[in-house]
Amino acid sequence: MTTDAADRPPVRLATRGLTVGYGDRTVIDGLDLELPGGAFTVIVGPNACGKSTLLRTLARLLAPRSGTVLIDGAELHAQPTRELARRLGVLPQSPVTPEGLTVADLVARGRQPYQRWFRQWSGEDSAAVERALRLTGLGDLRDRPVDALSGGQRQRVWIALTLAQDTDALLLDEPTTFLDLAHQVEVLDLLRRLNRDGGRTVLAVLHDLNQACRYADHLVVMKDGRVTAQGPPDEVMDAACLAGVFGLGGVVVPCPVTGAPMIVPDAPA
Amino acid sequence: MKTSAAVPFRPSARSHPAAGRTVVRAGPLAFVVRRRAAAAGLLLIVLTAAATLVSLGVGSTFIAPLDVVRALAGDGPSTVVVQDLRLPRIVLGLAVGAVLGLSGALLQAVSRNPLASPDVVGVSQGAGLAATLVMSAGLGSAWLGPFALLGGLAAAAAVFAVSGRHGLAAHRFVLGGVAVALALKALTEVFIVGADPIEGQRARIWLAGSLAGLGHRETLTLLVPVLLLAPVLVWAGRAMDTTALDDDVARGLGVRVVRRRLALAGVAVVLAALATSQAGAVDFVALAAPQLARRLVRAERPPLACAALTGALLTVVADLIARTAFAPVQLPVGVLTAALGGPYLLWLLVRRRNR
Repeated sequence: MTTDAADRPPVRLATRGLTVGYGDRTVIDGLDLELPGGAFTVIVGPNACGKSTLLRTLARLLAPRSGTVLIDGAELHAQPTRELARRLGVLPQSPVTPEGLTVADLVARGRQPYQRWFRQWSGEDSAAVERALRLTGLGDLRDRPVDALSGGQRQRVWIALTLAQDTDALLLDEPTTFLDLAHQVEVLDLLRRLNRDGGRTVLAVLHDLNQACRYADHLVVMKDGRVTAQGPPDEVMDAACLAGVFGLGGVVVPCPVTGAPMIVPDAPA
Repeated sequence: MKTSAAVPFRPSARSHPAAGRTVVRAGPLAFVVRRRAAAAGLLLIVLTAAATLVSLGVGSTFIAPLDVVRALAGDGPSTVVVQDLRLPRIVLGLAVGAVLGLSGALLQAVSRNPLASPDVVGVSQGAGLAATLVMSAGLGSAWLGPFALLGGLAAAAAVFAVSGRHGLAAHRFVLGGVAVALALKALTEVFIVGADPIEGQRARIWLAGSLAGLGHRETLTLLVPVLLLAPVLVWAGRAMDTTALDDDVARGLGVRVVRRRLALAGVAVVLAALATSQAGAVDFVALAAPQLARRLVRAERPPLACAALTGALLTVVADLIARTAFAPVQLPVGVLTAALGGPYLLWLLVRRRNR
């Protein structure tokens, strides 16, 4: 069995009057949002709705133009980034893989926030890396170059890097993009386990609505930089939401396996 | 995903999870060392020592390696030739090569671009223009070093101003650097043409990078600041590990990416400007040494210490050839290193295409 430290404190993220943009373009304007700690939260929304921008701001990869992000009530962007890196793990969307690094070598870099130039490695670092490799099932691939792995394996390596970081929360930007369905399920199952067994707060942006409804405890639906609905998927996702947010006609039925809302779009024209 | 029932936990005797790395501990200190880099480093030290011995023995009079060793110990008839005539210049060559190797490794790691090096992005050209101005203005040679240093730093500041806002994004940094380098080179040419022919000739030799007539004074001027930077270099060797990563991944690990890039590039520029201010523009060493060392170590980015050793070795060998190939005419070492640069770039290009 995979084992994982179970008593992690929940991480509560929130925004107050958050405004973010790129250049002249404002993507999110004055957003107030409260996300539950300890949950598996999924952000969905049509393309360019600002979901990645929101996640990147919550992960302090982007600085807000105005307003604040709060982590357990404290201002996120005012905290030392290195200390934050021990609480928040971030997996950006399709990161560039450096050439010629082995799996273990890349995962080991997740320990960066705990190290100093004069204390570059500790027993704790080794333990965290071994645990991350075990949780992601990468033990046998540890000495393989990352650039020689399949997309699904590579994504597991990136998740392992954030796990080695040993944080209470994981923020992931479309972790299933470019993966085939089996690998998508594999990654989502892993995230769910990390949330359930490990007590990690997980926040992910997902593209696939059915997967979002199936895995999320808490669903956040965004459109045009605003949150139009949030809550448990079976309370949030219905035909009206589908039509209003995604402009898609169809019915929402309970999934025959899990009972979670399942979207069946209208018959093709 | 399979659970670990299928992937049993392997208790590992490794002190570091990655193959080929070892943790070296001393009290509260712990450093991660690449075993292959350590082996390559030893090999490079042996090769450099051998090249140095040969170089000390070769010249207008040939001295056998054993006699060179005796002369270094202050014993035997060749002491004056070895210690006073040849050693100072060769030691300076070693120092200049090592410092250029460090500088190139830092710049290439920071910009993730094998073409980034101080002699490509304007540092050498800035130093060259300043040196030319000093010579054509007839100022004493005491002014040469300080002005060349300032010139190199000023040129780098201009390049950073063009590309620094974007965190030294690779192509912008190199293109901006090449543009600044070309402009400075053209300007230098204008001053040389307008200068007194003798001063102009002196400037040309300086620009080509020559170790002739230089010695311990220059070596000290170069090495004292570099030794003061030693703790920074130990920090840099590690900081380069995260600049090799995706920017957002590095940010997620708590690294201030842009600030770290600028700091590392700043160190690189200071090193290159120092080396150039003492020995003139020795081309190509800073460009090639890091990439050769990287291939030797099979690392994902240029290894700092091995790049320094490779730079020292390249420079000593190049200087040996420059001194002796056309004797009694002594070529500036920079002419030889530059002549090697062209084929090297072609090789890099062909290799890239084949990958």
